[in-house]
Amino acid sequence: MYKKTVTITAPHGIHTRPAALLVKEAKSFDCDVIVECNGKQASAKSLFKLQTLGLYQGVEVTVISEGEQAQQAVEKVAELLITLS
Amino acid sequence: MQVNGIVVSTGIALGKALKLTTQPQNLDLRLLPVSSIESEANHLHQAIQKLITYLTNCQSKVSPDCDNFQLIDADILLLQDDELIDEMLSHIRQYRVTAGVAIDRVFTEQAQALENIDDPYLANRGKDIRVLGKRLITTLQGNSQLDLTQITQDTILLADELTPADFAILPLNYIKGIVLESGGLTSHTAILARSARIPALLNCQWRAKKIKISNGQNLALNSIDGQLITAPTEQQLTQLKQQQSEYLAHLEALQAYKNLPSETLDGHKITLRANVGNLNEISSLMEVGADGIGLFRTEFLLINTDTIPNEEQQYQIYCDALHSLNGQQLTIRTFDIGADKDIPFLNQALEENPALGVRGIRYSLLHPKMFIQQIKAILRAAAHGNIRLMFPMICQLEELNQVFKLIDQAKTQLQQGNIVFGIVEYGIVVETPAAVLNLSSMLAQLDFVSIGSNDLTQYTLAADRTNPQLVSDYPPLSPAVIKLISMTIEQCKLLDVKVCLCGELGGNNKVLPLLVGMGIDELSLNPSNLLAVKARLVKGNYRAFCQHADQIKSLSTIDSIDQAINQF
Repeated sequence: MYKKTVTITAPHGIHTRPAALLVKEAKSFDCDVIVECNGKQASAKSLFKLQTLGLYQGVEVTVISEGEQAQQAVEKVAELLITLS
Repeated sequence: MQVNGIVVSTGIALGKALKLTTQPQNLDLRLLPVSSIESEANHLHQAIQKLITYLTNCQSKVSPDCDNFQLIDADILLLQDDELIDEMLSHIRQYRVTAGVAIDRVFTEQAQALENIDDPYLANRGKDIRVLGKRLITTLQGNSQLDLTQITQDTILLADELTPADFAILPLNYIKGIVLESGGLTSHTAILARSARIPALLNCQWRAKKIKISNGQNLALNSIDGQLITAPTEQQLTQLKQQQSEYLAHLEALQAYKNLPSETLDGHKITLRANVGNLNEISSLMEVGADGIGLFRTEFLLINTDTIPNEEQQYQIYCDALHSLNGQQLTIRTFDIGADKDIPFLNQALEENPALGVRGIRYSLLHPKMFIQQIKAILRAAAHGNIRLMFPMICQLEELNQVFKLIDQAKTQLQQGNIVFGIVEYGIVVETPAAVLNLSSMLAQLDFVSIGSNDLTQYTLAADRTNPQLVSDYPPLSPAVIKLISMTIEQCKLLDVKVCLCGELGGNNKVLPLLVGMGIDELSLNPSNLLAVKARLVKGNYRAFCQHADQIKSLSTIDSIDQAINQF
């Protein structure tokens, strides 16, 4: 299992547009990618679930994945979480 | 007939009405017989497919790197989301409800989950989910969209809400105006209308006000004053056309100064901010290049209502204002109730002399619950942007100490509730001679000071500013008032506290050299005057302004001051 924790810096948080970009990127990996925030988990491949996490500025988020490409997937999703706005 | 709304995109528009209804018809609430469960699931799949086709078609009309494209993309992603589809299917299969009910429940739950997020911008996305859910239901019910591409005449579109997808296929050259019955300043429709420069009003509830509008009828949209005019008269049309050409000329003249830095020829910088008395005005700030809001008059929250908005509602409004400002500073003045600002539902006792009565901070201190509620809403909003907070009618240190005690209570309450809040800068409005004379004892607790020149004039000269017999003989440009302004600025300079002026005086471009020469750091003025004032600033020299100010400070009559100002 591979994990990484980052803090959201985008002033408006991960709102609709960045979330959609992130989901598309996550879908390009075969492994499951989970995003965890404030005790709630969601698949990074589901915009529907991801939206409900409330990824606003300042919250800590952990990206978790297992299996093939887990590390690349986690690194990519984590990078998007801190760079998208 | 006129209906008021909130201006989200400024301008004037004339055109034929076109109503776009997206409200689903009644849902079929039957319990499904087991035999039709699978065909119902199929209906759902078909509706989803049909809506995705519509959205994809809309998306193909816009360029892939615009916001709109990505927003449509998000809608498509949601409709393809396995977790979402499974949830709707399980409603159909487990609870044996129709597809429409399944969509309604799942989208409503999702919207509620989003609306509970502790961030107003993300919470606002719940509305977008509701809109998408409704669209899916109307698609399921076979109510195909009105074909928006077929519009061939100047049109004012009346809608419950427009999606980014609708926007993509609108023939924008025929869409002269947009009227929405709901929506927020930061809703996608608002943002898109602004960027397409189509005059648009939000929260214009013509249906609720029982006003009949039929397709094809003439409408006029005054998206400067915030009005939809049904069946406009010749006279109204002439007036609107006049207002429109003035507005366009104003815009054009403005453009030359808008993007210039606000500084004198010799590089002395002045911050020019806007006075805002309602949400309508925020959208015009960007057009004049204002550097944020220097006076946000919160009393407007108490007009056209019969209660004080609660903490949550106020928080939403302050956040909305912050988001519309795109990171610029928002200076909020707490409720300035009393004197000439009568709020009927507060049932204030009649006072013999209301200007000298319970007004401004005095009212707030007598109603600490209301005050703490407002402070909490402001502190919470400050977690999302740059806020300065100022208090009206502070005359003496005792009031300021009480204010800070209440602020501490507000912070404690927020901490106890584990509610996130931010930091703000604190200031007072200097509008009485006592405030000027007591300033040195208060400055240590302040980050800035804002001079309210209208009230300062009235209280200094003991002349009611609404009394027409007195106005011309007791003007702000009189030796006593200038002396008090000058004393205020000098005391602030000593302690390096920023000093702003937010009264009418700041909106007069002829007075600008005097104010800047006296050492004012910021002016907050009516957005419609901002460019004229800026034009005066960028054409002048700070050194000359200082000499001019010194000369005026030595004058002892109103006439000689007037003359010096006009001759400069």
